[in-house]
Amino acid sequence: MSQTIFYILASLSIISALFVVFSKIPIYSVLWLIVCFFTIAGHYVMLNAQFMAIVHIIVYAGAIMVLFLFTVMLLNLNKESEPHKRTYLKFAAILSAGVLFLTLLAAFKSTNLTPYQLPEVNEVGYIQNVGIKLFTDYLLPFEISSILFLSAMIGAVVLAKKEK
Amino acid sequence: MNTLIYTACLGLFCMLAEIFNLRKWIIPTVVLGLAVIFSLNLNDWNHPSSHYNDMLRVDNFSVAFSGLALLICTFLFMLSSDFYRSEENQKHISDYMAILVFVLCGALMMVSFGNLVMLFLGIETLSISLYVMAGSNRNDLRSNEAGFKYFLLGAFTSGFLLFGIALIYGASNSFNLQDIYTYVSSNGNNISPLFIVGMLLMIFAMLFKISAAPFHFWAPDVYEGSPALVTAFMSTLVKIAAFAAFYRLISNCFLFTLQKAELILTVSCIATLFIGNLTALVQDNFKRLLAFSGISHAGYMLLAIISLQSNTDSVLFYYATGYALSSIAAFAVVIAVIGITNSEKINSLNGLGKKNPILATLLTMAMLSLAGIPPFAGFFGKYFIFSEALRNGYSYLVLIAIINSIIGVYYYLKPVMAMYGGAANQDEIKLPISYSLVLWTCVILSLLLGIFPDLFVTLL
Repeated sequence: MSQTIFYILASLSIISALFVVFSKIPIYSVLWLIVCFFTIAGHYVMLNAQFMAIVHIIVYAGAIMVLFLFTVMLLNLNKESEPHKRTYLKFAAILSAGVLFLTLLAAFKSTNLTPYQLPEVNEVGYIQNVGIKLFTDYLLPFEISSILFLSAMIGAVVLAKKEK
Repeated sequence: MNTLIYTACLGLFCMLAEIFNLRKWIIPTVVLGLAVIFSLNLNDWNHPSSHYNDMLRVDNFSVAFSGLALLICTFLFMLSSDFYRSEENQKHISDYMAILVFVLCGALMMVSFGNLVMLFLGIETLSISLYVMAGSNRNDLRSNEAGFKYFLLGAFTSGFLLFGIALIYGASNSFNLQDIYTYVSSNGNNISPLFIVGMLLMIFAMLFKISAAPFHFWAPDVYEGSPALVTAFMSTLVKIAAFAAFYRLISNCFLFTLQKAELILTVSCIATLFIGNLTALVQDNFKRLLAFSGISHAGYMLLAIISLQSNTDSVLFYYATGYALSSIAAFAVVIAVIGITNSEKINSLNGLGKKNPILATLLTMAMLSLAGIPPFAGFFGKYFIFSEALRNGYSYLVLIAIINSIIGVYYYLKPVMAMYGGAANQDEIKLPISYSLVLWTCVILSLLLGIFPDLFVTLL
């Protein structure tokens, strides 16, 4: 049962990701990306990480997607204004991506993957467990990341503030 | 640990100073604060400790590189008071200083991480702050381009870094350096291929950060477009922090799997040396010249990482110190000359030797040190790295590196030739006291390092 759901979700996320790349119209790309994020959230649920799934949907499908949509609309991206990429650049990109794909495929193929033992839901999934981990083992990264956000916030103000 | 906390507090002070109308006090406080933190940092010497579940690990390596980062920042902040003197910049001074201090926080995390999570956070704190600073000159199109280019490429590389960390976690089941080391050493030849792929992806990301070929394309444009002071931060602080992080990562995690990546590192090292030095030959923009010089110095430091042995860390530290001191001296002159002539071309230095003999002599000494001519620190740095590599059997790499340092002499002497030849095209430059102080200190320290190299080489 859960295997069937996994295969459905996995193929859905790959197909929607391909549509993101191949859509000619940027808005469609963004909308397909939302589908992709929802299928990934489905994977999180299947791994008993409910909190991650909810946060993933709120942050990515909610906040970041709205930002993307605004950017696409404000920049007025359409097909004509898109610069044409040179053929040799396309060729180089396809070649290097293909090599990376082959390497990863070979690595996964030659790894003895042991079947993943699904942890008990009260061991990982709930906010309580995430919070305990965050405030004991990962306390320092949790606090230090505030410097990162602070710096990014000041940066946004520096770059976007109107000159008087 | 305390070093990081105090530095973060200093950054907060810069950010809040504007509210309390303390704008004039920001730079003096930062310079003084960094000097105090520098001396406090020395207390941790020979007192290795780990903090917060081994997230940060303080050892002599991290204390030495933290000290170097603090010293570099003290010098650069001394230059900043004059660099940001215009009224336009004064409005933003508190934001700029806060961001630059946060860059230092990122660098401190990168040199003392004990967990891959902290490595990632450090790199991101450093990079995101720098993307903003690269584009901080908003009215200049080139500065915008620099910020945007750096941001796009840097964000792309962060993806590689994260993917690599994820694969390594999948294979070794830990983010902790010690645990990963145990996994690698206990599994011998049974290491999961996923671990190797993860290691390669992380190495690619680090090569981007140190601007080694073939990931160097961003460096010249970004260095040229950014404001000169930010360029100085990038080519000294950022490069050295990235190298320290790279070294720490390899010597603590990947030591036993390094031979799988050795070919990649060797090719990258040779390409970096040749591309950096040959392209620098045809540059006529001083900032761009220094960018390519930075790329070629990354090649020499890569040589130290390839021939990694137990005492390579002190050699790398010595080299990094020598490189940083001479680069800061060069940048101090560049910033002063750009401020007067509004031109970044090498020929704007024409006639400096007659008008400002002292300034010209100091720049000449900095250039000679970068080129690796005795008795300056640059020479002994190269000498130690080469002899270390020779001892470990990389004679062909040393040969290539020596050929490249000969090429290097030519373009480092180009600004010197310009200064002592050609008609003068600027008035006498009156250096602010802070500039002369930084210049003199850097050159004298570089000379002292060159005369007494033993003091440093046995340090770590």
